[in-house]
Amino acid sequence: MSEPLISVDRLARHYVVGGELVRALDGVSFDIQKGEWVAIVGQSGSGKSTLMNLVGCLDTATSGTYRLNGADVETLADDALADLRNREIGFIFQTFQLLPRATALANVELPLVYRGLPRRERRAMAEGALRSVGLANRMHHRPNELSGGQRQRVAIARALVGEPSILLADEPTGNLDSQTGEEIVRLFGDLNQRGHTIILVTHEPRLAARCPRAIKLMDGRVLGDGPGAEVSALQAARAVGT
Amino acid sequence: MNRGVRRLLSELGEGVRIAVSALTGNHLRTFLTTMGIVIGVMTVIAIVAIIDGLDASFASQIGNLGAHTVYVDKWKWINTGNEWWEMRNRKNMGRTELDAIEREASLATAVAPMGGQRTTVAAGDVELSRILVRGTSGAYLQTGGGTVAAGRFLSGPDVELSRSVVVLAAGVVDQLFPGLPWDAVLGRRVRVRDLPFTVIGVLERRGRMLGMDLDNNVSIPYTTFLRDMGSKRSLTIAVATEPGQVDALTDQLTGILRQARRVPAERPDDFNINRQDQFLKLYGQLTGALYGVAVGVGLITLVVGGIGIMNIMLVSVTERTREIGVRRALGARKRTILLQFLIESSIVSAAGGAVGTGLGFGVALLLSVATPLAAAVTPGAVALGLGFSAGVGLLFGSWPAWRAANLDPVEALRYE
Repeated sequence: MSEPLISVDRLARHYVVGGELVRALDGVSFDIQKGEWVAIVGQSGSGKSTLMNLVGCLDTATSGTYRLNGADVETLADDALADLRNREIGFIFQTFQLLPRATALANVELPLVYRGLPRRERRAMAEGALRSVGLANRMHHRPNELSGGQRQRVAIARALVGEPSILLADEPTGNLDSQTGEEIVRLFGDLNQRGHTIILVTHEPRLAARCPRAIKLMDGRVLGDGPGAEVSALQAARAVGT
Repeated sequence: MNRGVRRLLSELGEGVRIAVSALTGNHLRTFLTTMGIVIGVMTVIAIVAIIDGLDASFASQIGNLGAHTVYVDKWKWINTGNEWWEMRNRKNMGRTELDAIEREASLATAVAPMGGQRTTVAAGDVELSRILVRGTSGAYLQTGGGTVAAGRFLSGPDVELSRSVVVLAAGVVDQLFPGLPWDAVLGRRVRVRDLPFTVIGVLERRGRMLGMDLDNNVSIPYTTFLRDMGSKRSLTIAVATEPGQVDALTDQLTGILRQARRVPAERPDDFNINRQDQFLKLYGQLTGALYGVAVGVGLITLVVGGIGIMNIMLVSVTERTREIGVRRALGARKRTILLQFLIESSIVSAAGGAVGTGLGFGVALLLSVATPLAAAVTPGAVALGLGFSAGVGLLFGSWPAWRAANLDPVEALRYE
């Protein structure tokens, strides 16, 4: 097999909070291949948000290595990290994080603005991305004119538009009712079928169980890594035990 | 196009769009924020417009003296006080000096003697008092004395034969022959200090210079003047030259006059060669000080306005912390965020500057209509107003922008 898309080796992130050392992430290793759909699951405080920030190139590790699509992320300067995020990562947030004053189309165009694409090209790609998430008729609406599910679709279109290597979704269904959440999960399934690599960060075992693979974190370490149903069950067992 | 340049351009475009939407999204706050800049720029523009207006009107008034003409006189035009008695006792300027200059001044293009006396001028029942009667020659027109509107000016024979002919300035015609066309005035009889004169010409209207009415005089041959008004009068001799030759002419005249007036080598000049730029220099000193005060006041107001901008930009950065986080996550570099906020602060500030410039000119215009002050709208002042206010926006926006650019993306995304 060729080099994995993501290769994380003994990654650690320590903070000093109030004079005390907090090991938010304490030596985590795993690989993710292109085309996988992986859940990173854990309770609050397990280190999953810290891991997401590292994988998303928003933060740099205290020690360990992280290779993304052949690049040693730990060695990169701030501008290079910004460019890497722009090219390789499509972020999807729990609270959508759309710009309130911009239309759906303008929101989706944003990553392409930072890539320096000409206006016409940006427009065409953004329209394509919005169509692919089923929002062809909502392009000129502002976020406050859209439902929660529609907003998250706009956010997914924004993540897709630059054709990044990874879609990195942080609790994407957390702010949605269960039916809308279900639609979004199904959309992720579709996108995965079409070849997109998806990393889904969640605290919900039920959601992790739907993913082909899950990495379970606890206290900054990997507790389990395997088929989603098994790993989330493992979590469930422990949760009952405590 | 180069990829980096293209990216910068698209970032700039995005920055402008964000700035405009932030501006239009919050009318009241934008309005209040820019008030400081508006008032500052308005003050500076109004003062500068008035000073420029004064400059223009002063320069055009002084232009009446003739830019390339010097005035040989026993009096110095602008004196500092204690020279008066010395000048009072100088020898009069007369025919000797005039002849010497006409004979020897090779750089002169025109030489005109000028004697002046205020006296009565009358026609029929109308008698005007304190009209300036100027004794001169035909060369007077070439030394910046005006242009003929009707008839002719003084001729060589008029001077040689000491004829009793007179050329009236427009203001005198208005008063002596109200309603009469200028051509109809020619040939009429007027009395100058009760002596009969024939009108041979009328001069074009000239306006005022430094408060003096330039249209309230009459010209007669200087020979006639010396005969009828008293021969003991000192003349002023106007000497015109080619552009750029004024200094050389002054030197030449100094030599000629010292010889003609027999000034011993060790003695200082007992005459003055007056020039219009003496006025300009004096005036420049006055308005220079005024300018300094205006710019000082304006700068202080702009600093106050700039602090307002800084304050509102800091608020704006805090309000949009999450947005900054999102933009950073989507690939905006620090530079991009910095640029975005700098564009916003300078657009806010320049908008205030534009409004202030408009208002400033409004104030200046109002003043120029309501008072004798002149006001001039110069492109330089507009550029100054806009440039300065945009500069203030950049300067005072830079710290908030720097703070925005250096936010930690992780913290910014989590910010509530």
